[in-house]
Amino acid sequence: MSAHAPQPPQKPGEDPIRPHVFDGIAEYDKRLPNWWLMTLYASIAFAVVYWMATQHFGGKSDGEKVTAHIQGIRAAKLAAAGSYDDAALWEMSRNASIVAAGAATYASTCVACHGANLEGGIGLNLADAQWKHGGAPTTIMRAVAEGIAGTGMPPWGPMLGPKKTAEVTAFVLSKHPAP
Amino acid sequence: MSARNVTIHYNDKVVRQFLLATIIWGVVGMLVGVLIASQLNFWRANFDLPWLTFGRLRPLHTNAVIFAFVGNMMFAGVYYSTQRLVKARLASDFLSSLHFWGWQAIIVSAAITLPLGFSRGKEYAELIWPINIAVAGIWVVFAVNFFWTLARRQERNLYVAIWFYIGTIITVAMLYIVNHLSLPTSLTHSYPIFGGVQDALVQWWYGHNAVAFFLTTPILGIMYYFLPKAAERPVYSYRLSVIHFWSLVFVYIWAGPHHLLNTALPDWLQTLGMTFSLMLWAPSWGGMLNGLLTLRGAWDKLRTEPVLKFFAAAVTFYGMATFEGPLLSIKSVNALGHYTDWIIGHVHAGALGWNGFMAAGMIYWLVPRLWNKPLYSTALANIHFWLGIVGILLYVAAMWVSGITQGLMLNATAEGGTVLAYPNFLDTLNSIRVLMGLRIVGGGLYLVGFLLLGYNVLRSIRGARAVDGVAEVFVDDTPSPRVGVAGTIFNPPVIFSALGTLFACVWMFGGDFLQLVGLFGTALCVILAWLHFESRSRGWADWYERLLVNAAPFTVLTFLAVAAGGLIQIIPTVVVNRAQNVEDRIQVPYTPLELAGRDIYVSEGCYNCHSQMIRTLVPDVMRYGDYSRLGESIYDHPYQWGSRRIGPDLARVGGKYPDSWHYHHMLNPRAISPGSNMPNYPWLFERDTDVAALPSKLAVQRTLGVPYPDWSEAELKAQVDEQAAGIAARLRAADILVEPSREIVALIAYLQKLGKSEPVTPQVASAKP
Repeated sequence: MSAHAPQPPQKPGEDPIRPHVFDGIAEYDKRLPNWWLMTLYASIAFAVVYWMATQHFGGKSDGEKVTAHIQGIRAAKLAAAGSYDDAALWEMSRNASIVAAGAATYASTCVACHGANLEGGIGLNLADAQWKHGGAPTTIMRAVAEGIAGTGMPPWGPMLGPKKTAEVTAFVLSKHPAP
Repeated sequence: MSARNVTIHYNDKVVRQFLLATIIWGVVGMLVGVLIASQLNFWRANFDLPWLTFGRLRPLHTNAVIFAFVGNMMFAGVYYSTQRLVKARLASDFLSSLHFWGWQAIIVSAAITLPLGFSRGKEYAELIWPINIAVAGIWVVFAVNFFWTLARRQERNLYVAIWFYIGTIITVAMLYIVNHLSLPTSLTHSYPIFGGVQDALVQWWYGHNAVAFFLTTPILGIMYYFLPKAAERPVYSYRLSVIHFWSLVFVYIWAGPHHLLNTALPDWLQTLGMTFSLMLWAPSWGGMLNGLLTLRGAWDKLRTEPVLKFFAAAVTFYGMATFEGPLLSIKSVNALGHYTDWIIGHVHAGALGWNGFMAAGMIYWLVPRLWNKPLYSTALANIHFWLGIVGILLYVAAMWVSGITQGLMLNATAEGGTVLAYPNFLDTLNSIRVLMGLRIVGGGLYLVGFLLLGYNVLRSIRGARAVDGVAEVFVDDTPSPRVGVAGTIFNPPVIFSALGTLFACVWMFGGDFLQLVGLFGTALCVILAWLHFESRSRGWADWYERLLVNAAPFTVLTFLAVAAGGLIQIIPTVVVNRAQNVEDRIQVPYTPLELAGRDIYVSEGCYNCHSQMIRTLVPDVMRYGDYSRLGESIYDHPYQWGSRRIGPDLARVGGKYPDSWHYHHMLNPRAISPGSNMPNYPWLFERDTDVAALPSKLAVQRTLGVPYPDWSEAELKAQVDEQAAGIAARLRAADILVEPSREIVALIAYLQKLGKSEPVTPQVASAKP
């Protein structure tokens, strides 16, 4: 190497510097920090263990786990739904706090199609005495919960659950005279 | 041995051009960002105009920030530093000019076509195919210019910045070309050749690595040049550079599937996406450490030097974002954060904090040197810094709170876990309105700071004469030691790495016995490599020094390192028989009218706010229905799984509401869903569906393997008319009069098809073509 080759500045007592300078940029060659190396090694070890745990010794797939969980929820709902009969729903429809709760659900979920005053629109009129799909309280509740196939009335049971479904049924019934 | 002094005149004109373009496109990209952030809170800011709606402007924002702002900044930084690091003027003034003007032409054509609704429907890959070809062509111009300059270099050794530039150029070329493979149906429209899960996998292999190799590696290279120059300190550690460069380029490529966690993507790919993201943490922080620790001994300069302030903050944001990334890639964390604003906060910590601040520091450092005049105002630059810091912190913090709030609300259940606590999606949207407002403020502050930069630069260069750098450099003409093909491949580091990777693949994918062979083989490789390194470390270092004076072998090894991950993840998914990739359902192909509707959905950018992917998560299934199967999107070119839920998922929206619901909802979403922030789409009710384009679209779909019969044009037209008339009749029954030819009818046909599939057993499926 020629005598006038650029050499990196080297102060006494400093770490060794690489024998090369790029446009004035020199480089130390310091040891890698231990915590950094440990992070790297630990993440690699985790990757090996995690792959074995999920791919070689894994149990059910994510889909199977979700399906099992959802079936549990369905069973619990079916058990709860049995406790509402016509008389109970009529009684609920005369209970101010239940009707208020049902009105709130109606305002967020039903109003777009059935109108602010139950006068109908995209969906049927719920304020008149006509019940195209049956007017018994449990029938109305089933229509809310399971929907009416082919009409655009979706099943709301899965979204609302039995309690809210019963409340919103009670709210609709509150606009009708009790028998 | 011969040595001499030579004088080099650098091509700094192209650097100045790219630098000014960076500022202009930065302002445009950020301005559109503030506009679309406002649209999310104030739907009227969509102005009921097609070319100003969120779905069309959001792609403009992302493309402008990535390819126009950071792209121009990258080219300025790469060209300035490379010439000085390799002691050579850029190889060709013509190619430099062509690169600059070609890139600006691409940006302008993107800024015109995206608002007009020309889109491929894949994120950060929306540009239509003629522009794709132009991008690839200009990228090749860049590559030729760069590698030609390397070939003519008068500095034998390749500095770490150059390693990162090499990695950038070859990897972006590979990603861009593969993800943009399409079959055109017209001059402005094409379908990607991959469909469904394959398209999703290729898209995020590309999308994730656009972040890696467009927004990270070139900027790391720029950091390695400009930060030590500004700090006037040696780089902290060369060996850290070596380790973090190679681990970064090898590991990054594998992490793409973390964008698809808990989806229908096969589990092994999700697992690789998660574990490689975690393994990416240390390599990323290697770059942060080398940046921050280089500032040791120069911290006092931060008080007075805005350039170093910006660099220190940028590298800190890089460290924060690259810690957050692995965290978000953990499946359970992702279940909360995915599809929410948390991700938006994460990317802006990267784009504004890391890229934006690196750009600002670089510009403030370059302007006085390129125009030979001191910066107009250091005080203004300091104000820019503080406005930027406050803006980005406000932005990121708001998005964290917003994302976690909405994620928790969407996942919350009541009544013993049997029902959703917030069944109405809009309740979750309207609870983050304040935070979305804070984002506008944060982003606005950042933009004001950047405008100050523009003003400062304008005042600095006004009346100043541009000067090109001239350097008297010492050149050593001693011939470099060659490594050759054998020296490149047959040496301990490469052999151990290759064998280790090979055995690891055998372990991961092999059967019972092979698994064990693979596991022991991998372990053996690691132990042997370690022993060899301990006893012959000098040999490893010498080999690497030799490699560093050989640009072509270095490039080949870099390419092999980045290609490995993609090959192993994508090829099995692409070559696998489609029938085995459907789980238990297979999509019913769209009717011609539904396909036309789907193209409207893609063109309007609906995927920017609506996913079509119900994840294998209980709250997702409770809200949207049974989880999505692979087979349900197998014929989707492009896939539309989405990445953000500003509105609800649409995978099973078909048949959920009557046609009239969709009609009213598209005309005025708030008439049906009070509190919605969705734009109105009045033009869909005035424009006619492009039926004439359908024959060539169906022909391309058939070529791509979608089982369409070979209908004549008349048959096709008859089908479209019949289905459209049916929808119009149903709407008439609901007191709505609409011409069956309108776009809204096709869109309703498509929306009502979503989620319609038929069950299959594996036997039936394998009998299909």
